[in-house]
Amino acid sequence: MKHRERILTALNHEAPDRCPLQVSFTPEFAERLRADLQVKGQRDHNPHGGGNTYELERALGEDMLLVSVGWANSYYQQSGTYTDEWGITWKPIEYKTPYGVGHYTEPTGHPLSDDKEINKYKGPDPHRQELYNDAEHVIRDFKDEYWIVGVTVTTIFECAWALRGYERLLSDFILNPDFADQILEIPYNYHLTAAKKLVEMGVDMIWIGDDVGTQSRMLISPKHWVHYLKPRMANFIAELKAINPQVKVAYHSDGFIYPIIPELIEIGLDVLNPIQPASMDPARLKKEFGHKLCFWGSIDEQHTLPFGTPEDVRAEVHTRLKTIGENGGLIIGPTHHVQLDTPLENFWAMVNTVTQTKYADL
Amino acid sequence: MNATLNELFEGVVNGQNEIVQQKVHEALRSGVDPVVILNEGMVPAMAEVGRRFEEGEFFVPEMLVAARAMQCGLGLLKPHLQEGEVKSRGKVAIGTVKGDLHDIGKNLVAMMLEGSGFEIQDLGNDVPPEKFVEAARSGANIIAISALLSTTMINMKDVIEALDRADLPNTVKVIVGGAPLTEGYAKSIGADGYAPDASQAVSITKTLLA
Repeated sequence: MKHRERILTALNHEAPDRCPLQVSFTPEFAERLRADLQVKGQRDHNPHGGGNTYELERALGEDMLLVSVGWANSYYQQSGTYTDEWGITWKPIEYKTPYGVGHYTEPTGHPLSDDKEINKYKGPDPHRQELYNDAEHVIRDFKDEYWIVGVTVTTIFECAWALRGYERLLSDFILNPDFADQILEIPYNYHLTAAKKLVEMGVDMIWIGDDVGTQSRMLISPKHWVHYLKPRMANFIAELKAINPQVKVAYHSDGFIYPIIPELIEIGLDVLNPIQPASMDPARLKKEFGHKLCFWGSIDEQHTLPFGTPEDVRAEVHTRLKTIGENGGLIIGPTHHVQLDTPLENFWAMVNTVTQTKYADL
Repeated sequence: MNATLNELFEGVVNGQNEIVQQKVHEALRSGVDPVVILNEGMVPAMAEVGRRFEEGEFFVPEMLVAARAMQCGLGLLKPHLQEGEVKSRGKVAIGTVKGDLHDIGKNLVAMMLEGSGFEIQDLGNDVPPEKFVEAARSGANIIAISALLSTTMINMKDVIEALDRADLPNTVKVIVGGAPLTEGYAKSIGADGYAPDASQAVSITKTLLA
């Protein structure tokens, strides 16, 4: 089966030959993997600039290729402290693992922390042609074989909080609703313009999302999500499907977002990502929503991949294939970029179990 | 509870700064003992915020604005409280672990503890083990450590080991929390307590210092 056919079958709620796979990495894990596979990487791509290269993804047998336009590309943009084109300041922060030192970049400076700045603020221009060069190449070179995903994650809320400050925007939701709306409009308009352009160019799916879940509950109330984010997400999806009714839309939020899943289905969502198993039971989601919704992710990145054994990883993959992946409807993969704390044996246990397990043999 | 304190309570719970300011002034003017204003109007309000959070009525934004209103009220009240008049329940030094900049969970725990009568020393984020040891040496009864990432959570053990090695003059207890943590993990690294959220961090701290 061709990679794109495999994804199309799964998204059609049917079982392909094997479950489709998508994996992304942090830069340091990608380095380790590149050495292990002796794959020479060209320059990194997205999402989040994590360390993926198309060479690496194709070498692993992944079924979809991602190309990103938007604020998420500000992750890992430079070394040291830097300010991105949105005026957001980023700081690198290191962590140690048994396999070496990794780093993340985190937004620490927020251009709209002062209320007065909003009137002067001018965000970047989403119409610049150079933003879409990668998309043009990946569609031209790989669409025949792979499922191509246009990434505009951190679509509204996440980019908005980076502009305003996390606690500030969360407080604005209660104390300053009009101001919150004004800020949310900035990334919403930018990412909608980018996503529409990507759909016009021919991507198969758009990946949107904002982290609104914590480990065991929602970060904001479902009521606030419905008020501030649902109408924007609804329009976002509707505008994309008006351009191409066949285009699929995936939505990302870490953590527990169970209460808003019916809302997401109502506004036309096709695929939910990343299904953190410690936060939401994948089997339950399949049972309740599997007839209307497909899933992407579901392999635990908080415990199993970094701290489990290869046998634990294999068992988790099998469990997912038989539950949330039963009869298709799943693109399997880790729930976050694979980090440097993951042993290679565990990584290969995941990839090989996915690529070598046929649906027919389950 | 008199009407003013009742309105103060509601003001804190609903995160209404102006009402809180107005009611603290009103209560002081009418001669209510500042300790009573604190212990009957404000501290129970933060307990109510914790209860609503645990029951799923409140989420992070509601907690943030309530804590801000509490701090605003405390600021007005403090000049009227005599030294030693309000007994601290204990001193908590809190920070995110080395390598972790994610601090909203840590901030919420600090706000809830402060609202419950604990003295807070906020060590900030990306805190090296030595800083936690220094805080313990200067009198913290509880060291509270937070981590969002599985890659940084493992550094909590270094803090606990550093505290064990430090030969401290006083007993210090360690509580830990953050998304990837579990009760089992907390036990395995030798923490005295684990809380899955800010509200339960208050109960575990109270228990440990009882």
